[in-house]
Amino acid sequence: MVGWLRWRLFVNGLRTVTGKLNLAVQIIISAGMGLGIVGFGVALGVGSWSAIRRSQPAILSGELWFVFLVWLLFPLVISGFGAQADPASLLRFPLRYSTFVLLAFAHGVFDPVAAACLFWLATMSLGIAVASLSALAWAIPAFGAFALLNLLLNRAVFAWLSRWMAQRRTREILGALFILMMLSLQFVSPLATRYGQRAWPWVSRLASAARVLPPSMAAATIRAGRASARGAACAEFAGLLLYSGVLGWLLALRLRAEYRGENLNEARRPSAEARSTVHAGWNVTGVSPTVAALFEKDLHYLFRNSAAYISLLAPLFIIVVLSMGRHGSLHPKGAGFTLGHSTYFPMGVAYILLTVVGLAFNNLAYDGAGLPMLFAAPIRFRDVMAAKNLLHTMVLAAEIILVFLLVQFITGPTPPRVVGVTLAGALWALLMNLTAGNLVSLYFPRKLKPGQMRRQQASGLAVLVSMGVQVFVAGAAALLYFLSRRAGDLAWCGIGFLGLAGMTWVAYRRVLNLVSGIAWKRREALLAELSRPD
Amino acid sequence: MNDLAVETDGLCRRFGELEAVRNVNLRVEAGQFFGFLGPNGAGKSTTINMLTGLLEPTAGRIRILGLDLANDPIGVKSQIGVVPEGLALFDRLTGPEFLTFAARMYGLDRVTAAERAQELLDFMGLADRAKSLIVDYSHGMKKKLAMAAAVIHGPKVLFLDEPFEGVDAIAAGTLKAMLNRMIARGATIFLTSHVLEIVERLCSHVAIIQRGELVAQGSIDELRSGVSARHDDGQKLSLEQIFLEIVGGERAAVPELSWLE
Repeated sequence: MVGWLRWRLFVNGLRTVTGKLNLAVQIIISAGMGLGIVGFGVALGVGSWSAIRRSQPAILSGELWFVFLVWLLFPLVISGFGAQADPASLLRFPLRYSTFVLLAFAHGVFDPVAAACLFWLATMSLGIAVASLSALAWAIPAFGAFALLNLLLNRAVFAWLSRWMAQRRTREILGALFILMMLSLQFVSPLATRYGQRAWPWVSRLASAARVLPPSMAAATIRAGRASARGAACAEFAGLLLYSGVLGWLLALRLRAEYRGENLNEARRPSAEARSTVHAGWNVTGVSPTVAALFEKDLHYLFRNSAAYISLLAPLFIIVVLSMGRHGSLHPKGAGFTLGHSTYFPMGVAYILLTVVGLAFNNLAYDGAGLPMLFAAPIRFRDVMAAKNLLHTMVLAAEIILVFLLVQFITGPTPPRVVGVTLAGALWALLMNLTAGNLVSLYFPRKLKPGQMRRQQASGLAVLVSMGVQVFVAGAAALLYFLSRRAGDLAWCGIGFLGLAGMTWVAYRRVLNLVSGIAWKRREALLAELSRPD
Repeated sequence: MNDLAVETDGLCRRFGELEAVRNVNLRVEAGQFFGFLGPNGAGKSTTINMLTGLLEPTAGRIRILGLDLANDPIGVKSQIGVVPEGLALFDRLTGPEFLTFAARMYGLDRVTAAERAQELLDFMGLADRAKSLIVDYSHGMKKKLAMAAAVIHGPKVLFLDEPFEGVDAIAAGTLKAMLNRMIARGATIFLTSHVLEIVERLCSHVAIIQRGELVAQGSIDELRSGVSARHDDGQKLSLEQIFLEIVGGERAAVPELSWLE
């Protein structure tokens, strides 16, 4: 029944051109992934054979840890902490609890990652069988219990995550933690370079603690069984079953709550809040009241979108990481500036630009359901875009200041001439991106949801145009730099950037004057894409 | 001085092969509480979206308070308030933030915007959720907030698409009270609704659209007398009966369901 349902959803998804294109892309990706999975399968099989034949148990343990981590982490990374296909949606039908549990379990088995991991366990069994049939007698129950444990773990993790994801606040907190986790991975390499020697005893202690974790226990079952230490093998195997039992109990807690119909409504229960007075909106010097109100709204949106502002903070992390990796220290001294410490500020600003302009090429992405109001109100769309451009400029300016201070702290003072040229270049690059971004945002918009990461990508065409602009800007900047080096004075580069910025400013103003007409003409397409219900 | 608040001539809208609205000629006089009725998919939302500038007509002309919408969209939009089908709320703002934002979009200064927002929050019973984001509001609260945003600038014509759908009796009472106040101060209200009892209680005039075409227009009494003349049984017909008579709902054969017999 579930298979038929998924088949109909798949077939109905092919009715649109986008659906067919997505299928083509999926086939290409799946073919590549399939080859990779088979390749890993062969490697794991050979590894298992080698582990048994040459008595190298560490290989088997390492392989099982690989399978374990892929099975646990890959689905999480793919899902991006978004909503999952939820068997609980079938609870409206008269299902028995046992059927519901079976369905929840089936969702785990038919997952592509689970299928790949089961395939790997099969190739590992084959490798063990070729090496030693007596080892296979222990490998089959050990791998069986290991697979069951992983299925239960995967289901339990997703069942509990779904429970937290059902509510916006917890969903956003977990999303922010996920981004921070991804960012913190960048620190692994520089920290290992810097503290590797001193950290080694800790790593050894952690490795010994890992012996009581499932992958090591599954490997130990086979190793002990093969060494005819039946008591030890049975104890390790019993440990695996115990883990499965605990995970099964945790999963059952969730499934029973879902089956009983727990209420995970988005809307909070009405509770009396302190009655507050309404504050007058902001007054932003130099812009019209309409633009000021739009700017205020967009700034609120930015600060209430954890994924967006953490992404904006990412460049600051990266600069710290880069400096640590290059110098192995936060305070480099003397020699070692082969790249030149004066390059950190321009590099940092370039990286920030790439982050900020990502927003500029999909300006209306987060306006969503509110967009009809902007078309129904007596305002020019020019003001809407101007407010967004102002916000992006302010964000860029704030980040440039932070990067400047960070770079001064990490690498010492940047020469004033480099600062000047970098700022002139940033001004030109910003204007280029805002000009193109305003048009692209109207022609290739894509709805994004605040605080969510799953399926949060701009339109492919918008990305393509954005890349084209970045390549052009980088190429022109490199040419100007080269010419100014030949002329013997970097100041020429700055003057060149300012000249380009002046010309781009004229183009920017012209485009800004056009956007009201374009938006009015394209309002149906914009509303259809950006304001469609979820 | 033009007495017509809403006037359309030959209004049409096609979506590919589908002609969703066909040659609609509406006449809504200033100060009327006007109900725009029709079965599902008849073209009500398409029409209201065209009247408010959210959708471009394929053909025809729209005049609001004498101003041509195509020639002077900003002039028209400054005179109207809209609650569209999707409510058009920026749901990552709080209620007060959204109301002051809406007021400023219609040209009110910051202080007036804040004062009116406070009054409207009190009137709608939303003042005690002033710090919550709109995304966390219930459906009824969102409806009330959307209505507050639509009236905060004191529009002369108010367009409401299904304002009572999914709203409980208490919230509906609040909304009705506000709409009656709007009418009392001379505004025109143009609403679509499936709840015919509410339309009958509130509206003085109605138009009925079916399969994209206007099939009736006038005061409820005029429509009633037209339909009663056909029956001549002396019974006062309700708006629901009038509606069913005009759109042919009573004559449509209701198929039987074998397992419910």
